[in-house]
Amino acid sequence: MSMDHEHHLPPMSSVRRWLVTTNHKDVGILYIVTSLFFLVAGGILALLFRIQLWSPGASILSASAYNQAVTVHGLVMVFWFLSPFAFGFANYVVPLQIGAKDLAFPRLNALSYWLYLFSGLLVLASFFQGGAFQGGWTMYAPLNVEMAEATGGQLPMFTPSVGGTMTILALTLFVISVTVGTINFLVTIHRGRAEGMGLWQLPMFSWSILLTVWMMLFAFAALLAALVVLLSDRIVGTTYLAATGSGGSLLWAHIFWFFGHPEVYIVFFPALGVMFEAFQSFCGRRLVGRKWVILAMILVAVQSFLVWMHHMFLTTINLEIKTLMMASTIGISLPFDLMVFSMIYTMAKGKIRFTTPFLFSLGALVLFIVGGITGVFLGAIVLDYEFRGTYWVVAHFHYVMVAGVTALIGGLYYWFPKMTGKMYDERLGKLHFALYFVGFNLLYFPMFAAWKTPRRVFEYATGLTPWHQLATIGGFVLGGSFLVMFYNLYHSFLSGEPAGDNPWEYAATTEWAIPSPPPLENWAGRVSFADGGLSFVDDEDDRAHAADGGERTTDGGTAVGRPAVPTGATATPTPTETTHDREPDHASIWPLGVGVGLFFLFAGLSAFRQGELVQTAYLAPLAVGLGVTLYSSYQFGMESFHAPEPAIAERWPFDGVEKGKLGVWFFLASDVVVFGALIGAYMFIRINFGWADWHNVPPDALPGLVNTLVLLTSSFTVVLAMVYAERGSKRGLVGSLVATVLLGLTFLGIKAWEWSHEFAIGVYPWSGIEESVYYLTTGMHGFHVILGMIVALFMIYRASGGAYLGDDEPVEYFGLYWHFVDIVWVLLFPLFYLL
Amino acid sequence: MSSPALVFVPLQFAEQSRAEIFQSIFEVFLALGTLVGVVVIGYTLYNAYKNRDDGAEVDAAEDAADGAASKKRPRVGDLPSGGGGGRKLFLSFAISAIIVVGLIIWTYSALLYVEGQPNTADAEQVNITGEDFTWQFEYENGVTTVNELRVPANERVVLQASSGDVWHTFGIPEKHVKTDAIPGQTSTTWFDTGETGEYRAECFELCGTGHSGMEATVIVMEPEAYEAWLTNQSSGGNESASENESATGDQSNGDNESNRLDAAASPTPAAAGEAVTGTTPMTAHAGGGIR
Repeated sequence: MSMDHEHHLPPMSSVRRWLVTTNHKDVGILYIVTSLFFLVAGGILALLFRIQLWSPGASILSASAYNQAVTVHGLVMVFWFLSPFAFGFANYVVPLQIGAKDLAFPRLNALSYWLYLFSGLLVLASFFQGGAFQGGWTMYAPLNVEMAEATGGQLPMFTPSVGGTMTILALTLFVISVTVGTINFLVTIHRGRAEGMGLWQLPMFSWSILLTVWMMLFAFAALLAALVVLLSDRIVGTTYLAATGSGGSLLWAHIFWFFGHPEVYIVFFPALGVMFEAFQSFCGRRLVGRKWVILAMILVAVQSFLVWMHHMFLTTINLEIKTLMMASTIGISLPFDLMVFSMIYTMAKGKIRFTTPFLFSLGALVLFIVGGITGVFLGAIVLDYEFRGTYWVVAHFHYVMVAGVTALIGGLYYWFPKMTGKMYDERLGKLHFALYFVGFNLLYFPMFAAWKTPRRVFEYATGLTPWHQLATIGGFVLGGSFLVMFYNLYHSFLSGEPAGDNPWEYAATTEWAIPSPPPLENWAGRVSFADGGLSFVDDEDDRAHAADGGERTTDGGTAVGRPAVPTGATATPTPTETTHDREPDHASIWPLGVGVGLFFLFAGLSAFRQGELVQTAYLAPLAVGLGVTLYSSYQFGMESFHAPEPAIAERWPFDGVEKGKLGVWFFLASDVVVFGALIGAYMFIRINFGWADWHNVPPDALPGLVNTLVLLTSSFTVVLAMVYAERGSKRGLVGSLVATVLLGLTFLGIKAWEWSHEFAIGVYPWSGIEESVYYLTTGMHGFHVILGMIVALFMIYRASGGAYLGDDEPVEYFGLYWHFVDIVWVLLFPLFYLL
Repeated sequence: MSSPALVFVPLQFAEQSRAEIFQSIFEVFLALGTLVGVVVIGYTLYNAYKNRDDGAEVDAAEDAADGAASKKRPRVGDLPSGGGGGRKLFLSFAISAIIVVGLIIWTYSALLYVEGQPNTADAEQVNITGEDFTWQFEYENGVTTVNELRVPANERVVLQASSGDVWHTFGIPEKHVKTDAIPGQTSTTWFDTGETGEYRAECFELCGTGHSGMEATVIVMEPEAYEAWLTNQSSGGNESASENESATGDQSNGDNESNRLDAAASPTPAAAGEAVTGTTPMTAHAGGGIR
């Protein structure tokens, strides 16, 4: 049995392996290792400002450096450490838990990783470009932009241009990484579950990841819109966020916090998933109230989008909406109460073993309880009037968020034996936990005592000094505890005791039924739960290998005579794919290529400010980046990469929706939110401006109307292309695609003509708020048209070579995207030309 | 503000200062929060200890093959399912829900009271503008001061806050009042000035390199002294106006200066409106300065 085929994958000891791998386990390890690096980076920044906070007044950091440190600490910890760390485990473990051999789109998975790594390099690079962004991780407006002519006043608090812009660009690239990854996980979990594993039977960690990616899909789309607006203001010079404009501070606050609140659950949910797994495994008891816990998590995921204004209680929003948000905020704490009690009661009648993973999960629960209780204080608006902008908030969110980190660290110990095949040193693990727990509370509990300190300052009332000093000491203890962990894991990786398939009695999910570390293909055959328990089914040979607790399954356990026939009505066979047609691929250089290209492209963009290039040296990376990205994308598209799907799997509720189509639907759902946020921004601004006082930039609606007809026609030609492809007519296919491109170019041409007329009379994006909104929103749409053109040209090239005939799916996917672009225009046309 | 709702405000909150409202609510939350925290965490740790695996006998009942699925210990290869035991869960959940929701409903009446701007019709009103890391105050008769807010004792004062540049947040911790100061917006709040003395106002929203140290002194004066000062200022007003210009004019190379008053020092009443400019000691910029 050839389960360890290389499939063009170099061995693990070679560097090239890690550059080309698309296997979910490798990518998971890459994410975990890289995120730990960012943990150290963010931690060092924190220790720097904790040193500054030893006594009131500036010491080792200037005011600007201090602000950079607190800002980048927040950004790095939230974005470049927490979620990637969680997704390292998600990458490794979720396919194993659901019975899949890899994610739905392995190359896109690798791409997500490279975009993550490169975006992280950009954010660190921003320190060296005149200073990183220094407006806090919340990036409030108008501090986050420069206003050249808008107010005319002298504003000494601006963030340095190039480095500040670079930080924002880095975050934008990160959001692209997340979006790609989100789509991948959604399709994987919804389409790749083993036979017999309905959604209800998903293991708790996989459930937590599923809900996390659902939230990410919509939340990060909103963040992308906010960042696009911010970048537009900084790079082009639009005035969305100008201080006294119709957008300004509140516009930013609304869009950012609409993202920001789901974000905190996005970072916490995977930790919750780890806690549920650890509690079950180490208490030897199934989760109490499991069904209700799942429902509670679903409720939180939805409700997280309805509480964002509790970050804005002291702004000028009206009392009624404040009250509503207070109610929904308190409401969202209740499902968490249920989850906490579920874990507590799971311990009853348990056989609890205080291993390192369990200590961290139990510790996380205790810390989360403290954090959660202090959050209720913040939900009572009258108290929030006091706590706003103080260390009470800082202490609260560190208790809850770092409780999440605590659980994930437990996850690292929990899955370390599975990933490396070696056992870590248990005594050192417990030492780590002891130092960690002491350090954590020494660092964050005094912040409650010193709660009157304003956030992000280094001046504070001298009476609070002892508390700050305790916190600084605690920070070093907490940071130092990680040295124990790094030593332990490194040493154990090299020479630890071999761990078996399942070192944890009562750990029940599928990853514990296979060797440590698992072979490249995870298992032979296909996972099935059709008879109520785990078995590995070989569809071709009709032989089944049953899994007994902990026994190896690859060299034939007890053969249980079981026909490989779908037993449930929900299992959907995929007619075209079986696992034995062709060996799956696991390597591709092109994700790295696209990542490198985008790295340089985004780096180059940082040199623009208010429509001008301020550093000509950056033109070279910009051009190189664009070229590398286009070339790598082309190769990516041309590459023949086989990522087979299981013949039989649970796909509810997406039975009958093909993998690629489902991916496109999820992508479009995310894009809907991006445009929704931009159009929402337009509404917000125009209402503040005075709806009737607004003037539309295009002087004449006719070009817009013509463009609408052009696009609608092009949608028709795309449908034609699909029909011709289905019928196998190459000429028809190529012809309709060419027609589509020509129509698209017509659209762009008319638009260019319109814009050049505006420029000729001095109407630029920075001329005023109406212009800003018009150019950015229609420009964003135009950008989507350009991307569509590029894809269409690629498809024409492929189609001329005979592709897509008889298999019209790629054409259909392009069609879906193109129809979406059309629909957006049909909305934009009346908004910007008629109303 | 919905006045019908004020009918439901319990007498407890009527006529109280913000300080008293905050204090009473905070204490109840703190007491209840600590109690709940101690009980829940204690019960958690107790449960963990009580159910620890002490290597004892195998639970025959729970490992029995024909026992209820929820009672069986998890084993590799099991399809995930629940562990039953929902009733206790619901009881605990219901109790915590009642406590939490009850607390919020109780504070809601306080919220209505505070937001109703009670008894502020004749109150002194001061306009606050945060700008260039300074706080500028404008009084009803047009007098302005920088980084120094003067108010009469034992009165309710209304504050209207805005910003001349970026998002600031004005707060006087000891007077339990705070509000965002957002450019293009004016937010309204009130506080009770209480006893005479000097207090500190700070900025609670990151606003740039001068955020740390963006402070003002709040001087609560005897009412007669306050009236005298106010009249004095408006008649000899050119003096404070020029003080304002020099104070704001110096902010153009902003990042090395902050207007900071030493809170420990006692004020000189004659130096009304004067901004004491201090220089925050700065070491070499670690990450490059701002433009």
